[in-house]
Amino acid sequence: MIGKTATVPAIAAVALLASTAFASAKTVCYVTAADSHAYATPANVALNDRAKELGIEILSLSQNFDVQTGTEQVSTCIARKADGIILWPLDPQAYIPALARAKQANIPAILINSPMAEQANEFIKSFTGPDVYEEGKLAADSLNEAMKGEGAVVVIAGQAGNGTTIGRVGGFVDRLKETGSKIEVLDTVNADFDQQKALVASRDLITRFGDKITGVYANDDTMARGFIDAWKEANAGKPTPPIVGINGQRDAFDSIRSGEMYSTIVQSPVEDGKLAINTMAEILDGKEVNARLPIPLTVVTKANVDSVEPAF
Amino acid sequence: MTDVAAMGQTTKDGARFNQGNRLVGLLSRAGLLLAILAVILYGSISNPVFFTAGNFVNVLTSMSIVGIVVVGMTFVLVVGGMADLSVPATIACGAILCLALQAYIGPVPAFAVAVLLAGVTGLVNGVLVGYVGINPIIATLGMGTIVLGIVQAAVGGVIVYGADPSSADFVKSRIFGVPMIAIIFIAIAIIGNFVLSRTFWGRWTIATGGNYSAAEASAVPVRAVRAGAFVITAFAAGISGGLLGLTLQSARPLVGQGYEFSAITAVVVGGVSIMGGFGSIPRAMAGLVFVQLLTNVMVLQGVRTPIQGFVLGLLIAGAVALDIALRKRGVA
Amino acid sequence: MSAFVSTLLRYRVAVILGLTLLVAAMIVPGFVSLTTLSLGLDRGSTIGLIAIGLTVLLIAGQIDLSVGSVFAVAGIVAVMLQPMLGMGPAAVVGVLAGTAAGIVNGCLVVFLRVNSLVATLATMLIFRSIAHWMTASQPIPGTDIMFSITLSEIYLQVFTVRSGLFLVSILLLHVWLTRTVAGRNLFAVGSNALSAEASGISSDRIMFSSFVFASTLAGVAGVLQSLATNTGSPVYGSELTVAVIAAVVVGGTRLEGGRGSALGTLGGVLTIAALTTAMEFQSVPAYMQQVASGLILILLVVLDRTVRTGGKTRRKRCPRLTLFISNR
Repeated sequence: MIGKTATVPAIAAVALLASTAFASAKTVCYVTAADSHAYATPANVALNDRAKELGIEILSLSQNFDVQTGTEQVSTCIARKADGIILWPLDPQAYIPALARAKQANIPAILINSPMAEQANEFIKSFTGPDVYEEGKLAADSLNEAMKGEGAVVVIAGQAGNGTTIGRVGGFVDRLKETGSKIEVLDTVNADFDQQKALVASRDLITRFGDKITGVYANDDTMARGFIDAWKEANAGKPTPPIVGINGQRDAFDSIRSGEMYSTIVQSPVEDGKLAINTMAEILDGKEVNARLPIPLTVVTKANVDSVEPAF
Repeated sequence: MTDVAAMGQTTKDGARFNQGNRLVGLLSRAGLLLAILAVILYGSISNPVFFTAGNFVNVLTSMSIVGIVVVGMTFVLVVGGMADLSVPATIACGAILCLALQAYIGPVPAFAVAVLLAGVTGLVNGVLVGYVGINPIIATLGMGTIVLGIVQAAVGGVIVYGADPSSADFVKSRIFGVPMIAIIFIAIAIIGNFVLSRTFWGRWTIATGGNYSAAEASAVPVRAVRAGAFVITAFAAGISGGLLGLTLQSARPLVGQGYEFSAITAVVVGGVSIMGGFGSIPRAMAGLVFVQLLTNVMVLQGVRTPIQGFVLGLLIAGAVALDIALRKRGVA
Repeated sequence: MSAFVSTLLRYRVAVILGLTLLVAAMIVPGFVSLTTLSLGLDRGSTIGLIAIGLTVLLIAGQIDLSVGSVFAVAGIVAVMLQPMLGMGPAAVVGVLAGTAAGIVNGCLVVFLRVNSLVATLATMLIFRSIAHWMTASQPIPGTDIMFSITLSEIYLQVFTVRSGLFLVSILLLHVWLTRTVAGRNLFAVGSNALSAEASGISSDRIMFSSFVFASTLAGVAGVLQSLATNTGSPVYGSELTVAVIAAVVVGGTRLEGGRGSALGTLGGVLTIAALTTAMEFQSVPAYMQQVASGLILILLVVLDRTVRTGGKTRRKRCPRLTLFISNR
């Protein structure tokens, strides 16, 4: 009898301890783009490592590049009463209702890596990371510089309908128009961020336009590589036209050194991941944060290729 | 019915099928050749760069990777196995292992191990389909998911780079202006054709696809033959993936995405029946050439990528519907 | 003992579902709650609604690979027409777009006699292109965000509009399949179209309607998804088809036709949903989730085989695949 009465408060005490321990460790829901991806994986790792240092618990959900999964995962985060949500949007619109519900539930949300449409602004605390639209603009400037403001380019884009593709192509085209550049876009093809598809598409583009191509813009370095290989097949020994890529991959750095590529834009996945969780930590501490927190984007050309670290 | 009678039945059926359909067969084969000629004609008129040696070498090189898979997929369709949906996984397996192992065991053993492991996937597919009797679509779908998951877990999502750039030189080297990768593809297609049309294994494959029970009754090892088609496809996809990895010198888990449908499209447009028992490598190759030339013309003409899917879809439906209509008329 | 085993095998979907829930309840903290149930149901309902249509189609011995593309097109139509027609009518037109897609599929398979795997592979490409063409490959925003939020409201602590609709539909399907003549005819057509025809059932009509039904439900799911996210996107649903086929097959419906059940599909959908939810709670990487669902798929179809060949009513083995009869 005595034993039994003693256990009840003991259990209560343990439960209390457990709950306070639970309360002090904040749980942040991280809806990432994918677990298995050259850029997303290091960003996820950096975010998780930094969270551990900060003593924040991360509940990591992977959309596997599927928007529908992602919108449902935000609901999961709300239902699980997370203390904060970090969302990697794959679409500029689709998450808005889910983010609105997060706001109703008083869960602060921030965006990592990609921006969303303006209507999302009232439901998020901040957007951290590179801006894919900005990258498109930087690429336009870089190519404009390489081509001295005139000539004709082909654009090798990512997947049709994908948020990154839309931003990187949109920023590029808008910037050319904005600066009044005389560069003409010969054609835009979708190669789905895939080197082989870019290789095949580039062969056809080179056959079709030949020497008319005086510049190339690829939505990422992988596809730029595809164009370089196709160019070498078709015109052995002839120097490539200026090629601008994005991401700052290691092999793109080699290509810039050897002169096969003109420039790439480095966005560091590690910085991307760290900035997001740091920002979330500040929000959880009750601090105000800026609505837009960019990570540095570095345009890498032959001039600075040896002083910049490749992204991955 | 005794075995002999059953066999007699099939051969008689087969003979009648051949005779009654000779004209139609000719027509459907000629139809595809005419279609290819039409594309070439249109391409040459509409675009000055189309009818050049350079462009044709490009098309040939570009179709080599998927072409090797097409050879295997033809066996799957002819044996009545409908489709192998695990191709993206086996390609990824080939490409990633072929590069990842280079640093440890050298490029040639790495290639061999990669192809062999892809083949093991095919063996599991084959056992599930041929011996356990699971529907091929489901078996290969499930296996594909599992293998792709394991591959992703193994490399953790990063891009795998090759350790030996000179291995790429071999694939890119040319003999009389034809890239090595295309020569390998043509060699595999010739071997595939030989096996399917001239050997006992090919006869068994066609018999099993045409009439399973009759083939079984006449002592064809039907289960092994069905399983074999999936092993062949996995080996082909493994080789294809390995070559892809060597060409690109980089590989990621989703490198094989979409190849299963491209391969099925080529085989089906070539007039190989998805019901099995009928088809040949040359037919599948004609289908492949047609689809690739059409895509090439569309890109040269600046047709937007999503619209190309539309044309391809119409083409598949149209080609198959036409084939069926022709054959029905022939039988009647 | 063997009776026990065979009962277990017979209700294997329920057993697997039960095991999944049990394991999840034991190792995943906070899994057992109404919230989890509601979440699981809501996440299952998109796949579930399409699975209802595909169950019917698979029983009829056909398959539809285009449902994912139809899902996208219907949603886009529903969102695009909102400014002109208003929300309700636009949604109806969206669903009708799904119906129209089903008519196209039905015509290809029933009238032109194209094998359904090939026909819907073709229309999968075509409808996806149409989705890209309509939107110029950009996601399109809807007019009313508030409605989207209402749509995800949880009633009675468990149901959302979507999950309620799914559960009601699957019960209706169950009644239809088991209690009506039309339902029985469907099975007859699926097991043997020719003999069904001989006994006076119009197998063509049944197959045609099955295609229309499947696409219409894909349309409903697509419209609901677009309303819930206030967006019509050309990339929606590109990963759906495989998941739906897996859910239906896990539920014991067979691709060869003639066998399947609504409750099995419900079990399959819930199993996949429970598995996904539980693994997400534990932050299991997506690729490991894939391995797990692939294994369950293979395990269940192998069990399915064992039941059939090991059961008392040992039917004559029929290895000749009767799937996709229409090509004959």
